[in-house]
Amino acid sequence: MKVDGHETEAAGTLLDVILALGIDLPHLCKDDNLPPIGACRTCLVEADGRIVAACHTPAAAVQEVQTRSVRAIELRQAVLRLTARMHGREPDVSGGPRSGELWAAYAAHGLERPSYPSRPRSAVDLSSPFFEFHEEPCILCGRCVVACQQLQHIGAIGIAGTATSARVTAGAAVAFAESACTACGSCVAACPTHALRPKPLRATHRPGDARGEEG
Amino acid sequence: MSNAPAFALPRRARLLPLLVERHREHGFLDRGSVEHIARQLGMPVAEAWEAAASMTEFHFEPVRGERSCAGLACSLRPGWREPTLPAGCLFRCYEPPASGDERPFPLEMVRRSGPLLAPCDQTWAGLERARNLGPAVALEELERSGLRGRGGAFFPTAAKWRAALSRGRPLALVLNAEEGEPGVFKDRALLCLRPERVLEGLGIAMQVLQPAVTIAFINGAAEPAAAAFERALAASPIAGDVLVYRGAGGYVLGEETALLNAIEGRRAVPRPRPPLPVEAGLFGMPTVVNNVETMAAVSFIIREGAAAFRELGTAHAPGTRILSVSGRVSRPGVYEVPMGTLLSDVVVEAGGAGDSSTALLCGGPSGGFLPWDLAATPILPGRYHPTGAMLGAGGVVVLDWSSDIRRAALTMAAYNAEQSCGKCTPCREGAPLLLELLGSGRTAEVDELADVLQHASLCGLGQMAPGPVRSALEFWSGVFV
Repeated sequence: MKVDGHETEAAGTLLDVILALGIDLPHLCKDDNLPPIGACRTCLVEADGRIVAACHTPAAAVQEVQTRSVRAIELRQAVLRLTARMHGREPDVSGGPRSGELWAAYAAHGLERPSYPSRPRSAVDLSSPFFEFHEEPCILCGRCVVACQQLQHIGAIGIAGTATSARVTAGAAVAFAESACTACGSCVAACPTHALRPKPLRATHRPGDARGEEG
Repeated sequence: MSNAPAFALPRRARLLPLLVERHREHGFLDRGSVEHIARQLGMPVAEAWEAAASMTEFHFEPVRGERSCAGLACSLRPGWREPTLPAGCLFRCYEPPASGDERPFPLEMVRRSGPLLAPCDQTWAGLERARNLGPAVALEELERSGLRGRGGAFFPTAAKWRAALSRGRPLALVLNAEEGEPGVFKDRALLCLRPERVLEGLGIAMQVLQPAVTIAFINGAAEPAAAAFERALAASPIAGDVLVYRGAGGYVLGEETALLNAIEGRRAVPRPRPPLPVEAGLFGMPTVVNNVETMAAVSFIIREGAAAFRELGTAHAPGTRILSVSGRVSRPGVYEVPMGTLLSDVVVEAGGAGDSSTALLCGGPSGGFLPWDLAATPILPGRYHPTGAMLGAGGVVVLDWSSDIRRAALTMAAYNAEQSCGKCTPCREGAPLLLELLGSGRTAEVDELADVLQHASLCGLGQMAPGPVRSALEFWSGVFV
């Protein structure tokens, strides 16, 4: 098969092939080690003239893939513009295993400011001793849920509700600390937007300081 | 779950039946009851909760009052007011305005019947014939008939069965009686009036496919249809071999993989494809999902033979199609007509005005509008017009464009936005925006948004959601400025 003009071996999904070639393509809901979800629609490419999501299209039946056709880029930009409806500015979060894949995708597609009216959500869950959930940057990609349910087999979180009421939810709509969460960190590691983020480690914290006091 | 045989399904397959039972007893679900059920099934609470919360007909707090229909045919009635407890559609579009619980489908609303809706003898002759023919020959008969699935996608039924069989056993069979599309009530008509027909088709499918599990999934609100089906099931040769599931709403259940997720006790959202259900569906089994009307046709084909079926309809689309006709007509109801019949003829038969004032909504929220001068088109699978109007599940709502088209387009756009399952970004974020653009007259921006919904959404429902908006703007753009 051919990808952007390069001859290559067809193996796995189109996304596997594309990433193996070192081609940059957003795939916000696809974790390298977990099955595809198909929710974010940011890995759209043109495969033999059809627009498909690379993450759940087997490479076997495809002859030619174009990741940078005008049509593919245009649709990815449109999807990213819709994604940008959901959140505000990039949070100032240092650390964490993923470093803002979402904003990297915006930069690669030339999106500077949101073009659709935003529908910000503002729930915050600080109840876990090890991580925080800020709903504002969440794009409902579902990666945290798959990590929790299918990688860790804990099932502390899900996505509850339909349409624009859908949200990442612990237990039966309880705080993380009251759910089956073991604070394993898989969801934090999977999150491409820092909606789930480690609790800040306070640099000036020393034994003997007042607990929880800002340093 | 009634008549529950001991199928070896994972325990979580009991989640939806237990939630439905609890909801029936208490009128709503609360945290404690979902936690209790999850523990009972040994599944994580969050997974039970997300599954419950994906069902749009479940309430999570007590509700009062009677549901009133907010669907198109009902909202056209003089004096109709936005209900306090609205329901997308109560599936009684033939007697608007509808409110309260569903009622048995009235025989007099069968305005034209054909092989599927006509009374049939109370024997199981088709099932016996299938037994005598054996699975391979029965399947060949079905193949010769050229039957294509009546759920709306018109995939050749025999090819679907073969695809599942080629993957090996065990396999699963699902009768899709979820019928959740506003303006469509033909499955209810079949289940209420001709349940034996449907059951015989199901029995034949069981003969051919030898499934490890057979599930009839019936719309949660369709009480009379479910009761008629269960009564007929109990008296049928396949009594005890079919699990009856009841849904809890959601247009997305029309998407096969979302339906399978619901049965599996998961959040009812579509799965990425491939795999197709026939490759890996219910709990990974090759799974055949067939619509009620498809099963009724299977019964006719095995009884009367493929040639008899092919006498009706066209070479590429043999047989009949049951249309659900409502709106501005004097004789609303179901019309079983041969494929290839002119759409305009059916509308005139139903007593529609049939002049330049007429607009038709064909294919509901996934379809689109058609002006009268394009209505003399044969009823066939696929689109009547590239902007959206299609046969689909056979819903036809007759409108007067000058007074209705604006509200109708906004109602369909709102329905698609509300009924988005929330999984993929284009549909969840785009469908409400489309409604906003249409409502505020910013129609110049519609094209780009409609394009991304159509080409980027995960499932067919998102992909087809722009139809009503696009078609309304194509023919009557002036109304929206």
